[in-house]
Amino acid sequence: MLTFWKNVLENSPDAYEKAVRARDARIGSFLEFNPTRHLGNAPGEVASAEKHAVLAGLPFGVKDNIAVDGFRLSCGSRILENFNSPYHATAVQRLIDAGAVPVGKTNLDEFGMGSSTDNSALGSTTNPWNEDYVVGGSSGGSAAAVAAGLVPFALGSDTGGSVRQPASFCGVYGLKPTYGTVSRFGLVAYASSLDVIGAISTDLDVLQAVYEVISGADPFDQTSMDPVPSASHDADAAGVASLGYRGKSPCLGVLKPEQLELSAEVAETYQTCLEGFRSLGYEVKEVSLSMLEYVAPVYYTIATAEASANLARYNGVRYGLRPDYAENPEELVRLSRDQGFGAEVKLRILLGTYVLRSGFQDQYYLRAQKIRTAIRTDFEASFGEVDMILTPTFPRQAFRHGGEDMSPFEQKQADKFTASANLAGIPALSFPAGVPKGLPVGMQLLAPAFGEPRLLAAARDYATLYKPELAPGYERPAGEQ
Amino acid sequence: MYQSFIGLEIHIQLATQTKIFCGCKAAFGDEPNSNICPVCMGYPGVLPVLNQEAMRMAYVVARTLNCTLSPRSVFERKNYFYPDLPKNYQISQYEHPLGRDGFVDIEFHKKKRRVRIHEVHLEEDAGKMIHAGDMSLLDYNRAGTPLLEIVTEPDLEVGEEAEVLLQQFRRMVRYLGVCDGNMEEGSMRCDANVSVNLSGGGLGNKVEIKNLNSSRFVRKALNFEISRQKDILERGGTVVQETRLWNENRDVSEPMRTKESAHDYRYFPEPDLPPFITDDAFLLEVEKGLVELPAARRTRFIDEYGLSELQAEFLIDERSTAEFFEHTIALGADPQSAASWLASDVKKLLNRRGESIESSVLNPERFAELLRLLDEGRIHGKIAKQVLEEVFVSDASPAAIIKAKGWEQITDPAELSEYIDAVLKANPNAVEQVRAGDAKPVGFLVGQVMKATSGRAEPQLLQELISSRLAVKVIHVLSFGGAISGVRREDGLIGPGELFDLRTEFAGDTGLPAELRLEEIQLGAFLSEEIAPADWAVLISEIARRIEDSEAAGIVVAHGTDTLSYTASLLYWFFGKARIPIVLTASSVPNDSERGSAKPRSEAVANISAAVKRAASGAPGVGVVYGAQEFAPLNLKFERVEEGAARAGVFRTWNEIGGDSNPAHLPAPIYPAAGVEPTDRKAVQTALENAMSRCFIVKAFPGMRGDHLITLMKNGVRYFVLELYDTGTASVRETPYSLRAALQYGAANGVSFFCTSQQEAMVDFADYVTSHELWREGAIPMGRLTTESAFTRLIVAQLGSEDELEVQRIMEDQ
Repeated sequence: MLTFWKNVLENSPDAYEKAVRARDARIGSFLEFNPTRHLGNAPGEVASAEKHAVLAGLPFGVKDNIAVDGFRLSCGSRILENFNSPYHATAVQRLIDAGAVPVGKTNLDEFGMGSSTDNSALGSTTNPWNEDYVVGGSSGGSAAAVAAGLVPFALGSDTGGSVRQPASFCGVYGLKPTYGTVSRFGLVAYASSLDVIGAISTDLDVLQAVYEVISGADPFDQTSMDPVPSASHDADAAGVASLGYRGKSPCLGVLKPEQLELSAEVAETYQTCLEGFRSLGYEVKEVSLSMLEYVAPVYYTIATAEASANLARYNGVRYGLRPDYAENPEELVRLSRDQGFGAEVKLRILLGTYVLRSGFQDQYYLRAQKIRTAIRTDFEASFGEVDMILTPTFPRQAFRHGGEDMSPFEQKQADKFTASANLAGIPALSFPAGVPKGLPVGMQLLAPAFGEPRLLAAARDYATLYKPELAPGYERPAGEQ
Repeated sequence: MYQSFIGLEIHIQLATQTKIFCGCKAAFGDEPNSNICPVCMGYPGVLPVLNQEAMRMAYVVARTLNCTLSPRSVFERKNYFYPDLPKNYQISQYEHPLGRDGFVDIEFHKKKRRVRIHEVHLEEDAGKMIHAGDMSLLDYNRAGTPLLEIVTEPDLEVGEEAEVLLQQFRRMVRYLGVCDGNMEEGSMRCDANVSVNLSGGGLGNKVEIKNLNSSRFVRKALNFEISRQKDILERGGTVVQETRLWNENRDVSEPMRTKESAHDYRYFPEPDLPPFITDDAFLLEVEKGLVELPAARRTRFIDEYGLSELQAEFLIDERSTAEFFEHTIALGADPQSAASWLASDVKKLLNRRGESIESSVLNPERFAELLRLLDEGRIHGKIAKQVLEEVFVSDASPAAIIKAKGWEQITDPAELSEYIDAVLKANPNAVEQVRAGDAKPVGFLVGQVMKATSGRAEPQLLQELISSRLAVKVIHVLSFGGAISGVRREDGLIGPGELFDLRTEFAGDTGLPAELRLEEIQLGAFLSEEIAPADWAVLISEIARRIEDSEAAGIVVAHGTDTLSYTASLLYWFFGKARIPIVLTASSVPNDSERGSAKPRSEAVANISAAVKRAASGAPGVGVVYGAQEFAPLNLKFERVEEGAARAGVFRTWNEIGGDSNPAHLPAPIYPAAGVEPTDRKAVQTALENAMSRCFIVKAFPGMRGDHLITLMKNGVRYFVLELYDTGTASVRETPYSLRAALQYGAANGVSFFCTSQQEAMVDFADYVTSHELWREGAIPMGRLTTESAFTRLIVAQLGSEDELEVQRIMEDQ
């Protein structure tokens, strides 16, 4: 399969394009698709290209809140519908330097705000496993494109679970790296202290190569850094079960499922999964993340506060949607924002403005920051006892379009497993763990900061027990004969 | 009594090459929207990268302002919507600014004050929005320029202090090289807040004033605002807490159109920038950025080089001038002459040519050479000026110029003696007359030598050589009215007359040196109370000419007693640095002793004899001799005493200033800062008449109607010498019988009040609430100067400049 991907753009770009367009007419994963626009870009750093030869020639999709020169950067919003990016995000540039080719921009919940991709103003994306169901969000387009075999991998962004939750809904891998290890330069900010660029793929080798290429300090992002190597990383990379870990069995922390308000299918898969790890030689130990119930309110307080400032720049003055006529500059700004933003974005801006009001900061924003610190401490304590923590990615499988299954409020509460990693800044990986009743279920592994190699190794171990299934009808890559 | 409290928020744009968070050029005057990029335009997805140089400059300023430097400073987002703010939030500092708790010391009209600095923080500037017709245009070149905000505590009291602080601050940032301090172009900006309250009531309701784009507007706006708030309080009203804009065309502050809701900036830490942590290497860089500050340099210049405050002030104003000066001194030049040349001729030339000292062809080496040539007598003053001009024209060294132009003076005694021999030989009659005791032909002979050498003879040397060849010492005695040259009429009254014949009176006076040759010159016959500007013009021009032409080894001025204190101080301000002695003397009665009688010599004769002796042997500069005593030319007071049956007069001097006749302890003379050529009698007369028409002396008295002074101001009086009580007190109550109305009218109309004491006190406004009120209203203390000395200084100061502030500066430079 990888051989096909490595050659597809060189051998038959037209056939590929045609096949993608045909498939995507049903899925709706791409907002913009043009496989030849960046074809023929010479790889930049030869060293990087050689080291990650696995990426050379691979087409990839990019969530439409990550800048790719020559493509639009709409963020799924009316306000940036026609905005063309004049530059590459650092992560994209590094992938191009490694020989990969960005072929299009994928759909998302507007500015990354949502869990379904139904909050996009510019297109609707549906789940390749069942068109009645949502693809998850906010990186839903990226997950769908990978799951439907349109690209071997795609970049997404993860603020509270936006890479992992759609990966879980689509039965593919989704990695959220340690905060700061991947430059945010070129990622349109939603909540700057939580945002991180992540990757989605069906292939762990590809996922690992992408992570290695895009991570590392960037002079254009002062919050970025090189992953801090630790003595255990070599062992991590070599695989946990095969080598053992720190001279003993790797230890997996698990949560008491009855407290987690899981659907029956997810609860069952979680049980199966932890038993699977046990059978692989992992020690399984119960941990209590006592702060878990605070994760969603804290996440929404901090994320909306930052969003209210981050989205203030869209005012129709310098770029983006603007009304044909306005009486004065103030009205121009008001009308641009009123017409340009969708309901969910407006809701979150208002929420964020509210929690930052002077006189209310103690009650909301500053208290949330304190709890965030407590959550981080909670994880640190747990990682003193266990090497990784296993949780479900989301409390249930994909839900149907239209909010009948899950109200927007319930969707927000359900972010607690994923958002905890963003609040703590630690890496997390969602991996496919089963397809009960025809819809995939993903499980999430959490590790201490810079523990990405450990996560990938554990996922590899689990893949020996359960080989991820591909969505029916999409078993072969688009364009493969 | 009300108190006022002023605090300032000063913004300076840091002079970095690039903007604070991106690589765009930070420059002014470029094509609109030419220095922009996705980062400073707030494009989606971009991130700020902190400019290290901006941070270094910011810490240097904070350190210079004596702040506690934060080891960890944090950027925050200040959220507000405005079209010129690309991100609609400004990256600024709030909870953890880079500097806190500093101070800066200022001085206004002799009152020193420590102004506390609340904090110093760094932020990004916004763009500019211009409304043109029905369009709004935006230029983002300025967006993202590093902006440093300095917030003071409300420690200032009057607008003038704010003006002083801003001027000092401007000079400081220019010295540090972190900002050009240009308020007109907006690279330095100031908002002020001011509150007024009853004394002891603490701060009042605060009003913020914006749109202050010069330090002068800051002063005017604050003083306007203080009186506006006082008026409101006096009428029993309440000052509204608000923001007002200064309208510079109407000289009033106006309420700013208020937005419906108060701003809530919703500060929170900037997640895109990690906290800035200072490390040792950074702090070392900050220390390296510190320079000797203008105030310290001024003090050092005064102490080290013996300069006056005004000279030092001029030199340190620009760092480049100060460094040019020190470089010149290091090459061996005399600090005094370097300073005065820089402040006068060099400055004039640079202004005329529109050049700055560092970019001109005059370098310290050439300048030092010019001064050396002058010092060695190889050229004299007038030629030196021409040489200086020629340096600018021909870009050559002074030595090369005088060689090429043949301007070198004859300073070799042997060479000059040849010319003198020839002249003496050709004029035997004149020589004979001198030998017989007549001084007049000496001047003629000097003139002949000058003619023979085409003016190249060094005048001082020539004077010395001729004097020694003829074995004479020429003293010119200028008769300038008064009883000393008066006559007693038949009715017993004393009237003006001509000075007695010196040679006759002094015949047989064995105390006088044998080589002495006296020449009497009658400048006027009047009593000294009758002196008018025209008389002083004659005196000044006659003295100036004698100094210039080296006609005499010394000058004696025979004067009346009544106004001697004026003329003595006037001549001191003019000629205090002259290279020959100028001695004033007087007598309260005429020389009515009978000639040839055995009677003791009259006071007039005795005093002139003493003055002549002093002129023949004394130190150069201006002095006063009366009776057996020598006096300093400043702060003289003539007093009558009863001595038995005879009525006699005595002089004494007031304050320490005059108790000590050592010229080094007197305030420095202020000429030749003046722009008038002193040998030009007509020009001097016109200048004196103009200056004196603008001056008035007023003595405070109980029940004095201040509004009468307003009448004087309306009739053209611009400067008052106010003789107050004690250390500077007078009534400033809110009644017609006080100075308040006059001071306020004066402040609004650019009139200055220089204050002296009726009681031999040093005026410093230190002790009383009334004094402090006078200071608040802008009255200027004259320290130890008496009314007469202050008055003549004021006249000479005006010859130097017609600018009110410049005159004030000269008056305060004691």
